[in-house]
Amino acid sequence: MRDYLLLYVNSTRYEIRGARAYQSLTDLLRYDLALTGTKVVCAEGDCGSCTVLIGRPENGAIRYQGIDGCIQYLWQLDGRHVVTVEGLKENGRLHPAQEAMVESFGSQCGYCTPGFVMALAAMLEEGTPLTRQGIKDGLTGNLCRCTGYEQIIDAALSLKGKSVTRSAERYHNPQMLAELEACAQDSVEIAYRESWGREFRNIRISIPATVADAVAFKAKHEKTVVVSGGTDLSVQMNKGKVEPDTLLSLVHLRELEGVSENDDWLTIGAKATWTDVEHAGSESLLEFRKIIQVFASPQIKNAGTLAGNIGNGSPIADSMPFLYVMEAEVELTGPSGSRWVNLNRFYHGYKQLELRPDELITTLRFQLPETNETLKLYKVSKRKDLDISNFTAGIRMTLDGERITQPRLAYGGVGPVVLRLPKTERFLSGKLLTRDTIQKAGKLARREITPISDVRASEDYRLQLAENILLKFYHEVRQEQGWPQPNTLSA
Amino acid sequence: MKAVGQNIPHDSAVGHVTGEALYVDDLPPTQGEVLVDAIASPIAHGKLLGNNFDELRELPGIVGLYTVSDLPGHNRFGVIIPDECFLPEDVVEYVGQPIAVVAAENRRALRKAKQLAKLEIEELPPVFTIEEAIAARQFIGPTRTIQCGDFEAAWNEAEHRLEGVFHCNGQEQFYLESQAALVWPNEEGQILIHSSTQNPTEIQQVVAEALGLNFHDVISVCKRMGGGFGGKETQAAIPAVMAALVVRHTGRSARVAYTKDDDMRSTGKRHPFKIFYKAAFTAEGRITGVEFDLYSNGGAAADLSTSIMERALLHSDNAYHLPNACFRGTVCKTNLPPNTAFRGFGGPQGMANIENVVQEIAITLGRDAYEIRRLNCYDHGLRNTTPYGQVVQHHILPEILDRLEETSNYQERLQEIETFNRTSATELRGLALTPVKFGISFTTRFLNQGNALVNLYKDGTVQVSTGGTEMGQGLNTKIRQVVADELGIGYEQVRVMITSTEKNNNASPTAASAGTDLNGMAAANACRAIRERLAEFAAQHLSDAENGCAAESSCIHFGDGRVWDERRPNASIAFAELVKLAYLERISLGERGFYRTPGVDFNRDTGQGHPFFYYTTGAAVSEVRLDRFTGHLTLERADLLMDIGESINPGIDLGQTIGGFIQGVGWVTNEELRYSNKGDLLSYSPTTYKIPNIQDIPDTFRVDYLQNPNHQVNVRRSKAIGEPPLMLCLSVWMAVKHALSCVKPGAIPKLRLPATGEKILRCLTELDGSTSRTEEEIPLIAPSPLTTEPEPKRAAA
Repeated sequence: MRDYLLLYVNSTRYEIRGARAYQSLTDLLRYDLALTGTKVVCAEGDCGSCTVLIGRPENGAIRYQGIDGCIQYLWQLDGRHVVTVEGLKENGRLHPAQEAMVESFGSQCGYCTPGFVMALAAMLEEGTPLTRQGIKDGLTGNLCRCTGYEQIIDAALSLKGKSVTRSAERYHNPQMLAELEACAQDSVEIAYRESWGREFRNIRISIPATVADAVAFKAKHEKTVVVSGGTDLSVQMNKGKVEPDTLLSLVHLRELEGVSENDDWLTIGAKATWTDVEHAGSESLLEFRKIIQVFASPQIKNAGTLAGNIGNGSPIADSMPFLYVMEAEVELTGPSGSRWVNLNRFYHGYKQLELRPDELITTLRFQLPETNETLKLYKVSKRKDLDISNFTAGIRMTLDGERITQPRLAYGGVGPVVLRLPKTERFLSGKLLTRDTIQKAGKLARREITPISDVRASEDYRLQLAENILLKFYHEVRQEQGWPQPNTLSA
Repeated sequence: MKAVGQNIPHDSAVGHVTGEALYVDDLPPTQGEVLVDAIASPIAHGKLLGNNFDELRELPGIVGLYTVSDLPGHNRFGVIIPDECFLPEDVVEYVGQPIAVVAAENRRALRKAKQLAKLEIEELPPVFTIEEAIAARQFIGPTRTIQCGDFEAAWNEAEHRLEGVFHCNGQEQFYLESQAALVWPNEEGQILIHSSTQNPTEIQQVVAEALGLNFHDVISVCKRMGGGFGGKETQAAIPAVMAALVVRHTGRSARVAYTKDDDMRSTGKRHPFKIFYKAAFTAEGRITGVEFDLYSNGGAAADLSTSIMERALLHSDNAYHLPNACFRGTVCKTNLPPNTAFRGFGGPQGMANIENVVQEIAITLGRDAYEIRRLNCYDHGLRNTTPYGQVVQHHILPEILDRLEETSNYQERLQEIETFNRTSATELRGLALTPVKFGISFTTRFLNQGNALVNLYKDGTVQVSTGGTEMGQGLNTKIRQVVADELGIGYEQVRVMITSTEKNNNASPTAASAGTDLNGMAAANACRAIRERLAEFAAQHLSDAENGCAAESSCIHFGDGRVWDERRPNASIAFAELVKLAYLERISLGERGFYRTPGVDFNRDTGQGHPFFYYTTGAAVSEVRLDRFTGHLTLERADLLMDIGESINPGIDLGQTIGGFIQGVGWVTNEELRYSNKGDLLSYSPTTYKIPNIQDIPDTFRVDYLQNPNHQVNVRRSKAIGEPPLMLCLSVWMAVKHALSCVKPGAIPKLRLPATGEKILRCLTELDGSTSRTEEEIPLIAPSPLTTEPEPKRAAA
């Protein structure tokens, strides 16, 4: 048991104690360590200016991934090696990503540039293909207001075939590796009293080494805030909306990390990141992967976890329509063991979960779709990539010729929780997939949902999408099945 | 080798990529520094009645809390109309308006003070929209008019007529570095300000005025900005004054750095416009007359709104000859943060309107819009006088259009797209080719001046300082190149130094795309004076009177780091060597250069004159794809072609072209400012305000330039490039309108700008006739008490 966090930043080892553990990585870098190359713009993981490399031990070496430093609090980084833009140069020589950005006019005002450089470095670490699309995918999480991105793409393209010293080599240090590996076996408790004038509060940060310890801590401390990837919680904290006293970080629970496929079942550990899920092999997940591809940036996907997504309970969580129509089940583990709950019954209301105070979400599983099933997922957002949805949908059915069996429909963004549409499903069951049926189903679907107008979209737009998405589905299926396309202009 | 014309990397590129380039908030704290923030108004319009500031002052970690009564100097500012308060006296006029300035020892105390602040405000009726302001007759400045010919006659005689209302919304600058200032106390009450500003001179002046100091007591410097785009032309003032006020009261250095959220909520943006238009045209599509009534949403104070309206009026012709035209412009006063400069400065709104009119003429006549554009484009004959009387000279607009039509395969693609639209059940595609003609110069005559300081050191290296600021546009790099060539040395020998009012006084803002034009010429003028002195000295040094080669400074040449007499080129001397000798001979090795743009003059009252030194022009073709079910828009291809004169730095100019275009694409597509019905901006961070992402750039993206041998003026015969490419984005919006116009031939799609997926779908649904939606927005802003929009009062022609 340690009472401090251990992390390396570039070449330096740090032990972080007491109140200094209660801050974001970027605050540590900019204010405590005077490493101001890392910029903070939005403080919510949407611009990537704060991108750094986070290294963690994996199979006897350190694996580095790009993440948004502004939404990583230090309790998520125990046992990690952080490489910042200042740590990229080697012996005074620019890193190839830096050189390429200089030569290709990849920077204008320069404020987003350290973030882009680090995202490029992360791509080189991970071996992301340097095709135009590969580059765009690798840089989705970085906003630039000056360049219009083309010259940044040029810079990335020019890196093709360049030899790069990876961080694992650049920072090769067996002692660091051993120390970081040992960290994960260890648990951490940091407790201190913070006072401000006459006010005070007791802060407790716990990083358990086992699920059992985690559950025990949660059972003991009411109002524990559980941190998995922290991609939402950290935003709330940065914006001053929440300031938890008791934090439980799951950073050491490696037992919850895997993704496995067995007997047509996919089992995903609660700590598996979206990057892990995206790379899970199965062909039948292609449609889901398309959603994962656009809904978040590499930096977010490297940090955010499926359990976080489920536990956060957002009515617009992009994974939900899929998991709903797949009848996915979550495993909830408490002091007396675990139970499985169908996700369709997990949400009782807006952010109201079927989760007891002493339980943790530990696993998610679902049966992979059969090859003869039709499954389509939709995400409608203002901007295609890295944008919270206006509306999402999952449509799953088996088509026997044109006859619909076992239809399952789930819509997101149209109510306090993601909704299944039982009436529409019953209506469609056994019907032929015709334009008329689909239009009627659309009218029915409209009546099963209760969208609101907000900053992203109006109620009206969402209602219209609820209808239109079925038509889109209809046209896409007809096209894929090779059935003749009706002409909408006359239809 | 000449430096001008070369692809020399941005002079801070290495600093950018290593993180070593410092911005205001990266500067290390000095001993005793305090942190500063504002307590801002949560109410859009209200009377200040009370507060708990005395309690807040007692909170641990709070160093001070200041209101308007603590301001030693005067409280009004505004470059055109001084109607804005640094801190409100009794009435708040927009959400986010700073009411009090808090200084704290640490961030935690600052945050606490903001959270615990209690304000008692009596709400007054707010005005948010142009419609509401027109109804309340709340305007800023007088209505301006530019006219030519006789519109009424043209309208009465017209073969075809069109009228309607065009709406375009605002846009957040979204510079990545938020507003920031760091102020240090100097001796005897003087102060030094590091500000992220496009206008250090104005910061110097407003801070001096607010603190009751003379201008010479204040030094204002700016090393660089993390983006400006117009948003730091005037609006860096309030944060600078906030920090300066704290320095004045505490004697300690003070730092303010807005969060992105606070910045977006409290600062001004591109102006929304509402334009009532009438157009008369022939069956062939020739425009015979137009009448445009422009209304902009100026926000709560004048800021630059009247100048922005002026530029909107001056660009309401875009590239088209309008024999009879009447443009009127009125700025509305509302309870939003004062809207301000943003790349294009009214030009985009003025141009968007006429382009929309042309598109609708095409739909009305059942013709291709490009045909109408080409037909009405300024030519080289008699159809080249603007409504404000300036003749469009030395231009190649028709050539640009013809070339682009050909290189983009416009006609073939148009055929293919229209066929596609007749058959596709799932998608619609659209294509549009639009021109841009953007006038270069400040329309306020006196701003067209610049000064530069060139210091030559004994080793032959040079430091240049100008009043221009670097915000990413590459000004410093271009100045470096111009100076290197003037002195015939390598660009590595030249450094461009921090911008400071101490070195360059009374500078104009770095704006109107004129940064390089004004400061580059001033620097070149300084270099020429130094070169003349050096040439005179070199003539002596290199002369050989015995062999008939008398000292003659006109024979002296500078190049490649050497200096020689053309009559004896082999007897050259290294530039650095010459400089050292010149120093010993007590020859001045420094110079202040000055430049004023020749010939520009515009009479605001008559609306006539010669406001622009020249025009930067170009055109773009964009192709879009729309999802018929969701309204989702994809920009598939864009071809840009511009006349930018002789480029000083092609790599930088390419970045300006692409960056400007994509920024414009954001404005016309997905960047949507949404407010609550209390005037509180809801889309205040990148989570809800969606600027273009790397995935939004078109898969096929071609950029090219066309030589213009007729352009002979300006620094090294270059052209300003900062703003003009932004307006190439109008091709994207027009392509959307084209796609929508294919749904029901002859029907004019009622599309607003920006064309978000929601608005596109609304248009599609309307055109399909499958819903009963009204054409009006469903705004978040509460409906005004008026159920119908009032018609603007039209002046008699």
